[in-house]
Amino acid sequence: MREADAGGWVEDLFRRESAHLVAALVRLLGPSHLTLAEDMVQEALLSAMQAFRFGRPEDPKAWILRVASNRALDALRKQRRQQALRHRLEPEWTLEGAVELALSPAADAQNQLAMMFAICDGSLSSETHVTLILRLLCGFSSSEIARAFLVDVGTIDRRLHRGRARLQALGELGAPAAAELRARQGSVEQALYLLFNEGYHGSDPDSPLQPAMCADALRLGALLLRASEVEQRRVHALLALFCFNAARLATRLDQAGVVVPLEQQDRTRWDRSLLEAGIEHLGASAGGAALTKLHLEAGIAFEHTRAASVASTDWAQIVDYYDALLAREPSPIVALNRALALAELRGLEAGRAALAALSGDARLHEYSFFWAGRADVERRAGRAAEARAFYRRASELAKSRAERAGYERRLNELEPHASAADALSRRKT
Amino acid sequence: MAQFMYVFRGGGYAAPGALSPTELEQHLAKWNAWTKALMDAGRLAAAQPLEHPPTGKTVRGRARAVTDGPYAESKDLVSGTLIVVAGSLAEAAEWARDCPILEQDGSVEVRPVLDLPAMPPRIELPKG
Repeated sequence: MREADAGGWVEDLFRRESAHLVAALVRLLGPSHLTLAEDMVQEALLSAMQAFRFGRPEDPKAWILRVASNRALDALRKQRRQQALRHRLEPEWTLEGAVELALSPAADAQNQLAMMFAICDGSLSSETHVTLILRLLCGFSSSEIARAFLVDVGTIDRRLHRGRARLQALGELGAPAAAELRARQGSVEQALYLLFNEGYHGSDPDSPLQPAMCADALRLGALLLRASEVEQRRVHALLALFCFNAARLATRLDQAGVVVPLEQQDRTRWDRSLLEAGIEHLGASAGGAALTKLHLEAGIAFEHTRAASVASTDWAQIVDYYDALLAREPSPIVALNRALALAELRGLEAGRAALAALSGDARLHEYSFFWAGRADVERRAGRAAEARAFYRRASELAKSRAERAGYERRLNELEPHASAADALSRRKT
Repeated sequence: MAQFMYVFRGGGYAAPGALSPTELEQHLAKWNAWTKALMDAGRLAAAQPLEHPPTGKTVRGRARAVTDGPYAESKDLVSGTLIVVAGSLAEAAEWARDCPILEQDGSVEVRPVLDLPAMPPRIELPKG
C-alpha cells in the first residue's frame, strides 16, 4: 500500500527483507535450524544498519541479500563439515548455487507459502498461527506483536516457543502437498483474517490502525492464489473483503487521530485501485457451490463501498447478508451489526428495538461498539440523555485513544443542546 | 575552521533482537538525517563505517603477535569514524550531541585532528 521510493529505498525494507530471508533460509537450512536462520537475518539487518549509517548504497536490498548469503554459506560449510546437513543438498549442486537459488526473488513466493502452511498446523491455536506469521512472515518483534495484541511479551514469547518447537520438528520445509493445502486452507485464512483485523482495528491504544499489517494480510493472501490446489474462490472472497476494507483505511482516522464514523468518511478518498481490485476478487469468488462466511462478509463490505452515501446504501441487501451469516453461525457481533443495518432499513425505532433485544448478551455488554451503536441511534432519535449515557459507557470500554476521542467528540456535540435544555429547565423552576 | 574526528563506540546493536527490523530501519533513518544535516551545513568531510559484526586483527607488543578481532567489550567497540569541519572543539561536540548513537547507549569521542604542514600524500583507492 505504501510504495515510496527515492534512491532504491522502499519503505519497510528491513521488515520485508526479514520476511523474505527468514522463509528462504529456513527452507535452505531446514526447519530444525529456524532459530539460526532468524539470528542470521537479524545479524544481516544489523550489519546493514551499521553500514548504511553515513549513506545508503544504490541497491540496499542486494547488499542485505549478499550479507545474508555469505552468512548462510558460512553456516552450511561449517555444518557440512559436521555432517549435520548430510541429506540437505543435492551433491551435484554447488553450495553457492543452492544459496543463490533459495534466496532469489523468484523463490520468495513459494518459500513464504510453504512457511505459511507449515505454521498453520492443526495442533497450534489460531492465536499462535497469527503470532508466528507476524514474527516469521512479517518481521515483527515479540514486543511489537505484544503491543498490537495488548498482551504481555511473555505470552507472545510462549506462543512463539510452542510454534517454533512444532516447526523445528518438521524435517523439511517443502512445497505443501495438495492434501495439506486443502486441509489447512481454513486455518491459513483464519490467521490472515485475524492479521487483517489486527491492522484494521487493533488493540494498541496508541495506534489502533496498523496499515502495515493490513498490507501484509493482503500480500500473504495473494500468495495463496499461487497454490492451485486451494479452493481459489474462497481466497478471492477473503481478498475482496481485505481490499474493500483496506480501501477505507486512510479515512478511518482524521488528522487529529480521532476515529471517523462511516457516515462522515470522505468517500472520495477511498482508494480506487483497491476498490477495483476488490471488485475483481469478488467477481472471481462467485460461482462456487458454497456461499461461505467470507463471501457474505465481502458482499457486505462491497455494498458499503459501492454506495455514494450511507443513505443510498442498499441496506436490504446488507440485512439479508447478515441474516445469512446468523443462520450459518450465531454471533452477538453479527447480530449487533444486523441491528444497526436494520435501523437504516426500517427506521430508528426498529433498530432500537433490535438493539435492546441484544442487551442481555454478556459479551456485548463489554463491547464498546455495542454501546456506541445504541448511542448513535438514540442521538439520531433526539434522545440526548440516553445517547450521552451510552457514549459514556462506550468511551469507558474503548480500546484506543482514537476510538475514545470519537465518542468524546459526540458527547461534546451533544453538550450544547443539553446545557441549553438544562438552562431552560432551570429557568422554569 | 578545523577538522575533528568523531570516534563512534558501542550503540547497543550487538545484542541480537534488541531492535526489531522496523526499529532498526527507523534508527537508520535518524542516522541518515543526522549525516545529511552535517552535509547540508558543509561540515561533513569524510565518514568511514566499519564492518559489522566486528572483524579484523590486532597486532600487539614487541612480539608482533597478530590476533583475530578487536577485543573490546561491545560498548567500547569502535564502529566507525567521521571527520567534521567546525570552528572549535566546542562546536564539534555540539554537533555530536544530536548523534543517534546516543539513543542506543553509544558514545561519540570528539578529537581535534592535527593539521601538520608535512602530512604524507593520501593514496587514492583504485575504483571497483
